[in-house]
Amino acid sequence: MSESGGANHDRANIVTETSGVDRLAGVPAVFGAVAFVVGWAIVFRWVHVTDVLAGVTYATLLSAGHVLAAVVLCAVGVLSTTGVVDTDPDDSTGLFTALAFGAIAFVGVGLTASQTFDTGAGVWLPASVVALVLVTVAVLSVPEDLGVTLPVAAFELVVGLAVLTDVIGPSWTWSPHGFSASFVGPIAIAAFAMVGSLLCVWAGTNASQGFGSRGRELGAYSLISTYAAALLAILVLLIVFVVQNGIDQVLKGAQLWPFKLPFVLNGYGLQYDVNGIFPAIVGTVWLVVGAVVFAVPLAVGAAVYLTEYADQGRFTRIVETATNGLWSTPSIVYGLFAFAFLLPRIQNNVTLLTGQLVLGFMLLPLVLITSREALQNVPDEYRDASAALGVTQWQTIRSVVLPAAIPGVLTGVILGVGRIAGETAPILLVLVREPFSASAPSVIGSFHFTASAPFVTNEALLSPATALPYQLFAVITAGVGASQEFGWGTALVLLCVVMFFYAIGITTRIYFRRKLRQ
Amino acid sequence: MSQMETQTTTGETEEQIRDEWLEYDFEGESALSVEDLDVFYGNDQALQSISMDVPEKSVTALIGPSGCGKSTFLRCLNRMNDRIDAARVEGTVEFDGENIYDDDVNLVELRKRIGMVFQSPNPFPKSIRENISYGPRKHGDIDTGLVARLLGRDDRDEEEELVERCLRGAALWDEVHDRLDDNALGLSGGQQQRLCIARALAVSPDVLLMDEPASALDPIATSKIEDLVEELAEEYTVVIVTHNMQQAARISDQTAVFLTGGELVEYGDTDQIFENPQSQRVEDYITGKFG
Repeated sequence: MSESGGANHDRANIVTETSGVDRLAGVPAVFGAVAFVVGWAIVFRWVHVTDVLAGVTYATLLSAGHVLAAVVLCAVGVLSTTGVVDTDPDDSTGLFTALAFGAIAFVGVGLTASQTFDTGAGVWLPASVVALVLVTVAVLSVPEDLGVTLPVAAFELVVGLAVLTDVIGPSWTWSPHGFSASFVGPIAIAAFAMVGSLLCVWAGTNASQGFGSRGRELGAYSLISTYAAALLAILVLLIVFVVQNGIDQVLKGAQLWPFKLPFVLNGYGLQYDVNGIFPAIVGTVWLVVGAVVFAVPLAVGAAVYLTEYADQGRFTRIVETATNGLWSTPSIVYGLFAFAFLLPRIQNNVTLLTGQLVLGFMLLPLVLITSREALQNVPDEYRDASAALGVTQWQTIRSVVLPAAIPGVLTGVILGVGRIAGETAPILLVLVREPFSASAPSVIGSFHFTASAPFVTNEALLSPATALPYQLFAVITAGVGASQEFGWGTALVLLCVVMFFYAIGITTRIYFRRKLRQ
Repeated sequence: MSQMETQTTTGETEEQIRDEWLEYDFEGESALSVEDLDVFYGNDQALQSISMDVPEKSVTALIGPSGCGKSTFLRCLNRMNDRIDAARVEGTVEFDGENIYDDDVNLVELRKRIGMVFQSPNPFPKSIRENISYGPRKHGDIDTGLVARLLGRDDRDEEEELVERCLRGAALWDEVHDRLDDNALGLSGGQQQRLCIARALAVSPDVLLMDEPASALDPIATSKIEDLVEELAEEYTVVIVTHNMQQAARISDQTAVFLTGGELVEYGDTDQIFENPQSQRVEDYITGKFG
């Protein structure tokens, strides 16, 4: 802190004045942010490490950046500890940070000793443990400004020099003993860039605030922000990747006027110039609708009983545990159950109805769990108020408790639908006879009313159908029937169908939330 | 009055409760008549053999330190304690010539006639109008549903009338009459509490039980509620729990003092209780020496 008007030296000035160290410390932070992006770009193969930018390869640029960050961090640490710049470091770095650096040293020394120098466990294990202890103790025994900057600088220097001197270059490979995978240089360089960048962002932002609690605050904030940004980036990348690969197939032969979107609106067969997936889209929609119609009333009813009527005790706890277990049951188990139990009881043949039921079974536990949660979250004051007006319990549930719980129930349905719409395993054995079918199941048109029992029949429900995830599975894994592009198109449409269900669910939820508040 | 020789459990004094402290002669009918009421939560006794008569069309205040059982007592008067599994009630509460703890009592009818207002305002997340008409609708007294409308038996006029009458009764009409279809959660705390009172009035109770109705409110809202309570006593029998002694002194006609251990120590005219309490412990409590 700078002095002002002969103020007491023990107190920090409430206005922080720029001391220059923040600009210096910004160098590693900025390098970190850039290296993070470049690291991801290398992993996604948008750039290759040997690509040239301004006459230098990315590998060289990154390693030079590492070395530069190391030098600057060193300088910041030394300037701070010698008092050239005003900083506010604690006496020691935290134990957690020290252990984290120790762990990095453990891994680094262990890998180098065992792989590069090919020593046995008798050597590399003690060596790494010694490295862990030494680094941890060393970090703990110096003031915070050195404890933050020097270990990061050391890491940056080692990886920077390793890449710069081509010890770990683009052509480097590493095949660990007894392990069939091999790691190649570009991936290693990208990994160094990402780990190093997180360390640099943290140390740089920490130093820029002059260490101490303010430094740790900004350090933690930037580290978490970087993670969050990475997470969002991965999500966006996933969607972009699917869209990029699938859009050509989806738009094949499409035209605006007269409207044509053959891939989405055609069936699959000789009569079509462009084969399409309309039957599978309709199949998926009917599967989800059927599962929701079957499962949601049952689950909400059970939740009402368990929450409002049953004695809260061992019974409800057992049911709760069982439900959680059911939700975590692998979906192929549901598929097998449906194949062995439902199929012989419904026509002994694969049918749309069996698919709807098995997906309904899968949906049940999640909707039950979330509905129960939602009902429990309805304040007891509502129930008391209603009871005090002489209103019966069922009337209270129907007119006060359930309306207040609807948004929570819908959240469960939304999550559940997202899962079941994309499930292949449960319908593998019970739904499909011909994955690429020419016509869509016409469920609404197949209702026939008769004068004698059962009065209503629906042939479409009792016929085989197909579904998007099954088709995707058939194309990509089993390599049946159609090209890879067809599969990507299917994936994109499946994504859109699931998003469409989400949109419906979320809109309904917003409507009911509004109704409770306005 | 019953024989009451209960030993005090506080250990602060060895004072015995005397029968004459509990005798309260009033003119007019009693709305509720409580006889030897014990309440247990599991093995803990929350109320010890309480007996008292509540005169009709008046305000009866129940005061006492926290945990003395005054709220428990209030909740016994319309059997809200039935909703707590662990609670067990013994003794009788006579209302309209019947013991409300008899097996054949219809809880719906009982709670229609003995309404309750809770400590924190708890309007339903519905419109102001729906909050008021909630009780009568559920009891079938008002029907504005689709079927009724189709059959031409729509009670919307009655509903309007009821909403206005109850909101005026709760001194809220002037503040909300132009936004009856807004959500009740948009009202201020004091308005919400008066809405809850209006909601309780809508089922035409004889008795109104209030459990610290102003404790969550600011002074202005509190004084509105207090004025309202005094007005309500012209038509209804009001039993109000409060831990604010000034409030009890201001608004009540008679006061019952509960002390730690779930005992009713003194019951009588409010002025007498506050100016000339007979029990030493009640005097200590009222003058702030304990509790």
